[in-house]
Amino acid sequence: MKRISVDPLARVEGNGGISATIDGKAVTDVKFTINEGPRLIERLTVGRTPEEDVSMSPRICAICSISHKNAVLRAMENALSVEVPPKVVLLRELMHMGEMIESHSLHVYYLALPDYVGFPNAIAMASKYDLEVKIALEMKHFGNHIMKVVGGRYIHGENPVIGGFGRFPAEKELYWMKSRAIQFMPFVFKTLNLFCELDYPDCPEDGTVYACCDPGNEAYGFWGDEILLSTGERFFRDDYKKLTNEFIVSHSYAKRSRFNGKPYSVGALARVNVMGKRLKNESGKMYKKYFNDRWKTNPLFHNAAQALEILYCFERIPELVDEIVQHSEDPAIVPYKIKEGAGTGLVEAPRGLLIHHHEVKDGLVYHVDIVTPTAQNAEDIERYCYIAAQKLLDSGKKEDQIRDRLELVVRAFDPCISCSAHMAKVKKAPTDDWKNKLKRIMEKHSPVFIGVGCPDLSDDGVGIQLALELRKHGNNCVFLESEIEEDETLWEGTADRPLIFLDAIDFNEETGKVTLLSMNHVLINAPLSHKFLPIVSGLMNYKTLKNAYLLGIQPLSTANGGEISPPVRKAMKTVLHELLDGMNLN
Amino acid sequence: MKNNIPKIGIYELTGCAGDALLILDCEEELLDIFQAADIQSFLMAKSDNIDGALDVALVEGSVTTETEVEELKDIRQRAKIVVAIGLCATAGGLQARFTDPREWEKNLELVYGHTEMTHRKAIQSKPIDAYIDVDFYLPGCPISKEQFLNFFTRLVGGSPPEKYPRPVCVSCKYNENLCLLKQGLPCLGPLTADGCGSVCINHNLPCLGCWGPVEGANAVSEFYLLKDKGFDTEFIKKILANYSGTKTPTFFDQLEKERA
Repeated sequence: MKRISVDPLARVEGNGGISATIDGKAVTDVKFTINEGPRLIERLTVGRTPEEDVSMSPRICAICSISHKNAVLRAMENALSVEVPPKVVLLRELMHMGEMIESHSLHVYYLALPDYVGFPNAIAMASKYDLEVKIALEMKHFGNHIMKVVGGRYIHGENPVIGGFGRFPAEKELYWMKSRAIQFMPFVFKTLNLFCELDYPDCPEDGTVYACCDPGNEAYGFWGDEILLSTGERFFRDDYKKLTNEFIVSHSYAKRSRFNGKPYSVGALARVNVMGKRLKNESGKMYKKYFNDRWKTNPLFHNAAQALEILYCFERIPELVDEIVQHSEDPAIVPYKIKEGAGTGLVEAPRGLLIHHHEVKDGLVYHVDIVTPTAQNAEDIERYCYIAAQKLLDSGKKEDQIRDRLELVVRAFDPCISCSAHMAKVKKAPTDDWKNKLKRIMEKHSPVFIGVGCPDLSDDGVGIQLALELRKHGNNCVFLESEIEEDETLWEGTADRPLIFLDAIDFNEETGKVTLLSMNHVLINAPLSHKFLPIVSGLMNYKTLKNAYLLGIQPLSTANGGEISPPVRKAMKTVLHELLDGMNLN
Repeated sequence: MKNNIPKIGIYELTGCAGDALLILDCEEELLDIFQAADIQSFLMAKSDNIDGALDVALVEGSVTTETEVEELKDIRQRAKIVVAIGLCATAGGLQARFTDPREWEKNLELVYGHTEMTHRKAIQSKPIDAYIDVDFYLPGCPISKEQFLNFFTRLVGGSPPEKYPRPVCVSCKYNENLCLLKQGLPCLGPLTADGCGSVCINHNLPCLGCWGPVEGANAVSEFYLLKDKGFDTEFIKKILANYSGTKTPTFFDQLEKERA
């Protein structure tokens, strides 16, 4: 068994890693880890005033500090029923454009592009791509400048407060931004053409559900009061948990999310997929020119989507400035009263849907819940890495090629690890790693076993045979496939215990080789999932699925009417021995 | 290839990555920075990182996992000079607010429940000088561009960095702001190290203290001033603690002594 791992992953924001375990010809496990420790931000502001909360909670993340600021402000103003004047809303949108431009240009040019042109970093790239590096620096600087002028600082600006701003920026500053945005247009198109015409590899490709905020009025934008999915489903802001369904995994300090039991994606690509049709003017034209079916299934197109959004932002800035100057009479800040209440704020951070939920009681913050985009993407990042690793392995690619691709995939998602908490490695694991894995599972809880297969099809009978042997040795928690098909109630009362399916599975290895796979990976691996989906669908909810495994033996033949072959019989004995050993532990 | 220029490594522990990002935000100076120094390791910016002997290590973030303690000790061994950059590295950051271990454990459980972590073991957040000797400090949440460039220029020129023993009020006066304390707002300018150029007060907003305490801060006098303006003791103690991390006790000790 081998482990491919990139840890820490460079050129991402924060410290994390990705690892893939390869057992012979099958990828058995993929983990996206976040190496930063827990900061407990959601607890730090409890007992503080709403104003302190607005200043403290955006410090989760430097790269998305404006998004966090806008999200906490929207949540708090909903909780306290504060209505802010139009000029405040428009200026907040302007500073959001600044962050989008800054973050997207940093990501596409500095972090992503070096991979495609073969340099270790953007500075080294400058020797050959002088103009590109200069565009990137200027573009990023422009985004930062907007954030500083409107928000007060590049990072963690304190000017936006509940009810408005400490102080409005001067009009001449706004006119400068407008003229600069217009002047910069040729370089924006150069960026767009570059990233929309890059040769993105076609692996991994697979459909997913995309989610983003709906700004309403059939407009493209970066915040709203509803979540809109690519399936057409909608959720009002306070019902965000219906989408996110957060849970904790033991290999990361970032929480995870799934929708209907499946991973989903957020970010620039999600936004363009869900509401790209709404883009107008030049960005609308460019959407029609470049958007195609590959954007729907290939996460590497995140970079293209980001470039399209850069164009959208540059087009929006002059419009915003024109609107802002029409509201010169609006007050910078409106008075408000602290009252009891709960509020949710939804915004699109550069890397996707960001949710802030804040509750106020007796004048102080009482409960905070923050769901970040990278935490929502983590499951889909793992899924796409799994697909990529398996496909490249099937086509005979080497470890370092697989590792490079995994890095490319993770980086495309533009993960922001500070938010959730660097990323990809290829390592060799000891042979017979399944034994250790099995021991770890059995140490915690005694498992429920399910024998799968057909005794009439030679080696395919090994699962059933194993189950029957276990029963003979006095284990009562053993079922056969046929038994659970007949009586579903047999499962009752086993919900908290790990499930281990016993079966002969073809994973392209020497006959008699044993593997232990997590069920999650079985279900996204095409040939195996066809066999297992009918067995597990309906019987298992996601919680059990996380705790379910497949202990498989490589068969020689599954021809009708034969006997179990000697190597498989030998493997069966080893497995039985390990299982009985494990049972004694309990 | 690069012989007479200092070897520098930039490292991130747990935090918002804002200080490393701020270095990348020096857009106009960035190409010069990479020429003036041999940047051996900078995970956010490059993938060809080397972990060898260094002249200077800049460390951002607070220490919150056991692995980070090991990483930090390794950095100290390799580097002639270690600089703590940003509030998290200098004072533990916002996340160092739970100074009582039981309170910290309770809150860890409230966020992550009872899930057994196979991941790196979490420990209470502390500044880097809790584990290693630190040569220089560059505070701020996040650090300021001007302060960083000034610091960096002196460093590559072989001079010791300049100290900033002044409170925010000094910049505030240069900027001709009206004193917010006089207007009854809970401004922490007098207690806070300068470096931001009094940015919040320039925007009519009170100083939050995000650079951490300035040397010789008179917490007692600020405390009674705020009491006079009608703020209650609990509130004052909370705002003193928000951005002071593990340096908070210095404030509270002063208050205790005054009472005794």
